[in-house]
Amino acid sequence: MRTLSRRRVVVLAAGVFGVVALLSARPVSAHHGWGGYLDAEFEISGTVEQPVSLAGPHATMVIKGTDGHSWNVVLAPPPRSQQAGLKDGMIPVGSKVTAHGHRHRDTDRYEIKTERLTWGDKVFNVYPDRS
Amino acid sequence: MLDHQSLVGAARWLQGSALGHFMRESSVWTYAIVNLAHILGVASLFGSVLVLDLRLLGIGRRVPLAPLADATVPVASAGFLLAAVTGAGLLVTKATEYVGNPYLAVKFPAILLGLINVLVIRRSDAWRARARGELSALERRRLAVMGGLSLACWLTAVASGRLIAYW
Repeated sequence: MRTLSRRRVVVLAAGVFGVVALLSARPVSAHHGWGGYLDAEFEISGTVEQPVSLAGPHATMVIKGTDGHSWNVVLAPPPRSQQAGLKDGMIPVGSKVTAHGHRHRDTDRYEIKTERLTWGDKVFNVYPDRS
Repeated sequence: MLDHQSLVGAARWLQGSALGHFMRESSVWTYAIVNLAHILGVASLFGSVLVLDLRLLGIGRRVPLAPLADATVPVASAGFLLAAVTGAGLLVTKATEYVGNPYLAVKFPAILLGLINVLVIRRSDAWRARARGELSALERRRLAVMGGLSLACWLTAVASGRLIAYW
Protein backbone atom coordinates (compact mmCIF):
# COMPACT_ATOMS: atom_id res chain seq x y z
CA MET A 1 0.00 0.00 0.00
CA ARG A 2 2.89 2.33 0.76
CA THR A 3 4.34 2.03 -2.74
CA LEU A 4 0.92 2.70 -4.23
CA SER A 5 0.58 5.95 -2.32
CA ARG A 6 4.06 6.97 -3.40
CA ARG A 7 3.08 6.36 -7.01
CA ARG A 8 0.02 8.48 -6.47
CA VAL A 9 2.25 11.25 -5.20
CA VAL A 10 4.29 11.10 -8.41
CA VAL A 11 1.20 11.30 -10.58
CA LEU A 12 -0.25 14.10 -8.48
CA ALA A 13 3.03 15.98 -8.73
CA ALA A 14 2.95 15.68 -12.52
CA GLY A 15 -0.64 16.95 -12.58
CA VAL A 16 0.13 19.83 -10.26
CA PHE A 17 3.11 20.72 -12.42
CA GLY A 18 0.89 20.99 -15.47
CA VAL A 19 -1.74 23.09 -13.71
CA VAL A 20 0.87 25.40 -12.22
CA ALA A 21 2.48 25.82 -15.63
CA LEU A 22 -0.90 26.85 -17.00
CA LEU A 23 -1.81 29.20 -14.17
CA SER A 24 1.58 30.84 -13.69
CA ALA A 25 1.26 32.20 -17.19
CA ARG A 26 -1.69 34.49 -16.64
CA PRO A 27 -3.25 35.12 -20.03
CA VAL A 28 -3.13 38.87 -19.49
CA SER A 29 -2.26 39.56 -23.07
CA ALA A 30 -4.31 37.05 -24.93
CA HIS A 31 -4.90 37.27 -28.63
CA HIS A 32 -7.65 34.76 -28.15
CA GLY A 33 -10.80 35.71 -26.32
CA TRP A 34 -11.38 39.13 -24.84
CA GLY A 35 -9.65 38.66 -21.48
CA GLY A 36 -6.46 40.31 -22.71
CA TYR A 37 -8.31 43.47 -23.68
CA LEU A 38 -9.74 46.32 -21.62
CA ASP A 39 -13.46 46.25 -20.87
CA ALA A 40 -14.05 49.84 -22.00
CA GLU A 41 -15.10 50.43 -25.60
CA PHE A 42 -12.30 51.95 -27.65
CA GLU A 43 -11.95 53.53 -31.05
CA ILE A 44 -8.96 54.44 -33.19
CA SER A 45 -8.90 56.08 -36.62
CA GLY A 46 -6.00 56.16 -39.03
CA THR A 47 -4.69 55.29 -42.47
CA VAL A 48 -4.00 51.78 -43.68
CA GLU A 49 -0.33 50.79 -43.48
CA GLN A 50 -0.69 47.06 -44.13
CA PRO A 51 -3.91 45.94 -45.80
CA VAL A 52 -6.26 43.30 -44.42
CA SER A 53 -4.79 39.80 -44.28
CA LEU A 54 -7.30 36.98 -43.91
CA ALA A 55 -4.68 34.52 -42.66
CA GLY A 56 -3.68 32.88 -39.42
CA PRO A 57 -5.76 32.56 -36.25
CA HIS A 58 -7.16 36.09 -36.71
CA ALA A 59 -7.44 38.39 -39.68
CA THR A 60 -5.22 41.43 -39.15
CA MET A 61 -4.29 44.81 -40.56
CA VAL A 62 -1.99 47.65 -39.50
CA ILE A 63 -3.06 51.28 -39.47
CA LYS A 64 -1.16 54.48 -38.74
CA GLY A 65 -3.30 55.98 -36.01
CA THR A 66 -4.13 59.69 -35.76
CA ASP A 67 -2.08 59.51 -32.54
CA GLY A 68 1.03 58.76 -34.64
CA HIS A 69 1.38 55.13 -33.54
CA SER A 70 1.17 52.06 -35.72
CA TRP A 71 -1.83 50.06 -34.53
CA ASN A 72 -2.15 46.35 -34.85
CA VAL A 73 -5.82 45.89 -35.77
CA VAL A 74 -6.89 42.36 -34.82
CA LEU A 75 -10.10 41.25 -36.51
CA ALA A 76 -12.18 38.07 -36.22
CA PRO A 77 -10.87 34.69 -37.41
CA PRO A 78 -10.53 34.64 -41.24
CA PRO A 79 -13.83 32.87 -42.11
CA ARG A 80 -15.82 35.18 -39.87
CA SER A 81 -14.06 38.29 -41.16
CA GLN A 82 -14.78 37.17 -44.71
CA GLN A 83 -18.42 36.67 -43.80
CA ALA A 84 -18.47 40.27 -42.59
CA GLY A 85 -17.48 41.31 -46.12
CA LEU A 86 -13.71 41.68 -45.82
CA LYS A 87 -11.39 40.38 -48.53
CA ASP A 88 -7.61 40.05 -48.59
CA GLY A 89 -6.10 43.46 -49.27
CA MET A 90 -9.44 45.03 -50.23
CA ILE A 91 -8.83 48.30 -48.39
CA PRO A 92 -5.92 50.03 -50.16
CA VAL A 93 -2.90 51.35 -48.28
CA GLY A 94 -3.49 54.97 -47.31
CA SER A 95 -7.28 54.63 -46.91
CA LYS A 96 -8.88 56.21 -43.86
CA VAL A 97 -10.47 53.67 -41.54
CA THR A 98 -11.85 53.53 -38.00
CA ALA A 99 -11.60 50.47 -35.79
CA HIS A 100 -14.05 50.12 -32.91
CA GLY A 101 -13.49 47.51 -30.23
CA HIS A 102 -11.29 46.98 -27.19
CA ARG A 103 -7.76 48.09 -26.53
CA HIS A 104 -5.03 45.74 -25.36
CA ARG A 105 -4.65 45.65 -21.57
CA ASP A 106 -0.96 46.42 -22.01
CA THR A 107 -1.26 50.02 -23.16
CA ASP A 108 2.38 49.97 -24.29
CA ARG A 109 1.11 47.74 -27.07
CA TYR A 110 -0.86 49.52 -29.73
CA GLU A 111 -3.30 46.77 -30.44
CA ILE A 112 -7.07 46.79 -30.75
CA LYS A 113 -9.32 43.77 -30.99
CA THR A 114 -11.90 45.01 -33.40
CA GLU A 115 -15.63 44.47 -33.31
CA ARG A 116 -16.48 46.88 -36.10
CA LEU A 117 -14.33 48.35 -38.87
CA THR A 118 -15.52 51.41 -40.80
CA TRP A 119 -14.14 52.42 -44.22
CA GLY A 120 -15.99 55.37 -45.78
CA ASP A 121 -19.64 54.33 -45.88
CA LYS A 122 -18.78 50.62 -45.48
CA VAL A 123 -19.12 48.99 -42.07
CA PHE A 124 -17.66 45.55 -41.37
CA ASN A 125 -19.23 44.01 -38.29
CA VAL A 126 -16.73 41.22 -37.71
CA TYR A 127 -18.27 40.47 -34.31
CA PRO A 128 -21.91 41.38 -34.97
CA ASP A 129 -23.13 39.85 -31.71
CA ARG A 130 -20.87 42.13 -29.67
CA SER A 131 -21.31 45.59 -31.11
CA MET B 1 23.44 33.16 -33.50
CA LEU B 2 20.10 33.43 -31.77
CA ASP B 3 20.03 37.22 -31.52
CA HIS B 4 16.87 39.11 -32.34
CA GLN B 5 18.05 40.28 -35.73
CA SER B 6 18.86 36.83 -37.13
CA LEU B 7 15.64 35.41 -35.66
CA VAL B 8 13.66 38.08 -37.49
CA GLY B 9 15.57 37.26 -40.67
CA ALA B 10 14.84 33.56 -40.32
CA ALA B 11 11.18 34.27 -39.57
CA ARG B 12 10.88 36.47 -42.68
CA TRP B 13 12.40 33.73 -44.79
CA LEU B 14 10.01 31.12 -43.34
CA GLN B 15 7.05 33.42 -43.88
CA GLY B 16 8.03 33.96 -47.51
CA SER B 17 8.40 30.22 -48.18
CA ALA B 18 6.01 28.28 -50.42
CA LEU B 19 4.43 26.77 -47.28
CA GLY B 20 3.89 30.26 -45.86
CA HIS B 21 2.16 31.42 -49.03
CA PHE B 22 0.03 28.28 -49.11
CA MET B 23 -1.02 28.75 -45.47
CA ARG B 24 -2.08 32.35 -46.05
CA GLU B 25 -3.48 32.31 -49.55
CA SER B 26 -5.09 28.95 -50.30
CA SER B 27 -8.33 29.51 -48.34
CA VAL B 28 -9.69 31.30 -45.27
CA TRP B 29 -10.21 27.84 -43.76
CA THR B 30 -6.64 26.56 -44.28
CA TYR B 31 -5.34 27.72 -40.91
CA ALA B 32 -8.34 26.29 -39.06
CA ILE B 33 -8.04 22.89 -40.76
CA VAL B 34 -4.27 22.66 -40.20
CA ASN B 35 -4.86 23.75 -36.61
CA LEU B 36 -7.38 20.94 -36.17
CA ALA B 37 -4.90 18.39 -37.58
CA HIS B 38 -2.26 19.76 -35.19
CA ILE B 39 -4.56 19.21 -32.23
CA LEU B 40 -5.32 15.66 -33.39
CA GLY B 41 -1.59 15.00 -33.67
CA VAL B 42 -0.90 16.42 -30.21
CA ALA B 43 -3.84 14.48 -28.73
CA SER B 44 -2.60 11.20 -30.25
CA LEU B 45 0.94 11.84 -29.08
CA PHE B 46 0.12 12.99 -25.57
CA GLY B 47 -2.70 10.49 -25.00
CA SER B 48 -0.56 7.48 -25.84
CA VAL B 49 2.52 8.86 -24.08
CA LEU B 50 0.44 9.49 -20.95
CA VAL B 51 -0.78 5.89 -20.80
CA LEU B 52 2.71 4.49 -21.33
CA ASP B 53 4.43 6.87 -18.91
CA LEU B 54 1.87 6.17 -16.18
CA ARG B 55 2.52 2.47 -16.69
CA LEU B 56 6.28 3.11 -16.38
CA LEU B 57 5.51 4.97 -13.16
CA GLY B 58 3.79 1.83 -11.93
CA ILE B 59 0.13 2.56 -12.61
CA GLY B 60 -1.84 -0.27 -14.14
CA ARG B 61 0.93 -2.80 -13.59
CA ARG B 62 -1.51 -5.62 -14.28
CA VAL B 63 -1.10 -4.75 -17.97
CA PRO B 64 2.18 -6.20 -19.29
CA LEU B 65 4.58 -3.50 -20.49
CA ALA B 66 5.59 -5.07 -23.81
CA PRO B 67 2.15 -5.23 -25.48
CA LEU B 68 1.23 -1.84 -24.03
CA ALA B 69 4.36 -0.37 -25.62
CA ASP B 70 3.53 -2.12 -28.90
CA ALA B 71 0.14 -0.43 -28.90
CA THR B 72 1.11 3.07 -27.73
CA VAL B 73 4.50 3.78 -29.32
CA PRO B 74 3.32 3.70 -32.98
CA VAL B 75 0.37 5.98 -32.14
CA ALA B 76 2.72 8.38 -30.35
CA SER B 77 5.14 8.40 -33.31
CA ALA B 78 2.40 9.02 -35.86
CA GLY B 79 0.92 11.74 -33.64
CA PHE B 80 4.30 13.41 -33.31
CA LEU B 81 4.85 13.38 -37.08
CA LEU B 82 1.42 14.88 -37.75
CA ALA B 83 1.92 17.53 -35.05
CA ALA B 84 5.39 18.45 -36.34
CA VAL B 85 4.33 18.83 -39.97
CA THR B 86 1.17 20.82 -39.22
CA GLY B 87 2.99 22.81 -36.53
CA ALA B 88 5.50 23.98 -39.15
CA GLY B 89 2.57 25.24 -41.23
CA LEU B 90 1.00 27.11 -38.31
CA LEU B 91 4.33 28.70 -37.41
CA VAL B 92 5.30 29.94 -40.87
CA THR B 93 1.87 31.52 -41.54
CA LYS B 94 2.92 34.67 -39.67
CA ALA B 95 6.36 33.60 -38.42
CA THR B 96 7.56 37.14 -37.65
CA GLU B 97 4.80 37.56 -35.05
CA TYR B 98 6.24 34.74 -32.97
CA VAL B 99 9.74 36.16 -32.63
CA GLY B 100 10.25 36.85 -28.93
CA ASN B 101 7.28 34.75 -27.82
CA PRO B 102 8.54 33.25 -24.54
CA TYR B 103 6.29 30.19 -24.75
CA LEU B 104 7.96 29.07 -27.98
CA ALA B 105 11.30 29.37 -26.20
CA VAL B 106 9.96 26.92 -23.59
CA LYS B 107 8.14 24.64 -26.01
CA PHE B 108 10.95 23.77 -28.41
CA PRO B 109 13.53 22.85 -25.74
CA ALA B 110 10.84 20.75 -24.00
CA ILE B 111 10.20 18.86 -27.25
CA LEU B 112 13.94 18.39 -27.77
CA LEU B 113 14.36 17.03 -24.24
CA GLY B 114 11.34 14.75 -24.76
CA LEU B 115 12.90 13.34 -27.93
CA ILE B 116 16.30 12.87 -26.28
CA ASN B 117 14.50 11.06 -23.46
CA VAL B 118 12.88 8.74 -26.03
CA LEU B 119 16.34 7.84 -27.37
CA VAL B 120 17.68 7.27 -23.86
CA ILE B 121 14.75 5.02 -22.96
CA ARG B 122 15.01 2.99 -26.14
CA ARG B 123 18.73 2.39 -25.62
CA SER B 124 18.40 1.41 -21.97
CA ASP B 125 18.75 -2.20 -20.84
CA ALA B 126 15.65 -1.81 -18.70
CA TRP B 127 13.53 -0.99 -21.79
CA ARG B 128 15.07 -3.82 -23.80
CA ALA B 129 14.23 -6.20 -20.97
CA ARG B 130 10.51 -5.31 -21.11
CA ALA B 131 9.65 -8.46 -23.07
CA ARG B 132 10.96 -10.51 -20.15
CA GLY B 133 7.95 -9.46 -18.11
CA GLU B 134 9.48 -9.54 -14.65
CA LEU B 135 11.84 -6.60 -14.32
CA SER B 136 14.22 -6.13 -11.43
CA ALA B 137 13.47 -3.40 -8.90
CA LEU B 138 16.34 -1.33 -10.29
CA GLU B 139 15.08 -1.64 -13.88
CA ARG B 140 11.58 -0.66 -12.77
CA ARG B 141 12.92 2.37 -10.96
CA ARG B 142 14.95 3.47 -13.98
CA LEU B 143 11.95 3.16 -16.26
CA ALA B 144 9.84 5.07 -13.75
CA VAL B 145 12.33 7.94 -13.69
CA MET B 146 12.45 8.14 -17.49
CA GLY B 147 8.66 7.85 -17.69
CA GLY B 148 8.30 10.71 -15.22
CA LEU B 149 10.78 12.82 -17.20
CA SER B 150 8.89 12.05 -20.39
CA LEU B 151 5.60 13.12 -18.83
CA ALA B 152 7.14 16.37 -17.56
CA CYS B 153 8.62 17.16 -21.00
CA TRP B 154 5.44 16.54 -22.96
CA LEU B 155 3.22 18.27 -20.40
CA THR B 156 5.48 21.31 -20.63
CA ALA B 157 5.47 21.17 -24.43
CA VAL B 158 1.66 20.94 -24.62
CA ALA B 159 1.05 23.63 -21.98
CA SER B 160 3.53 26.12 -23.42
CA GLY B 161 2.32 25.31 -26.93
CA ARG B 162 -1.23 26.22 -26.02
CA LEU B 163 -0.03 29.41 -24.33
CA ILE B 164 1.74 30.70 -27.45
CA ALA B 165 -1.59 32.25 -28.43
CA TYR B 166 -1.88 34.02 -25.07
CA TRP B 167 1.18 36.16 -25.22
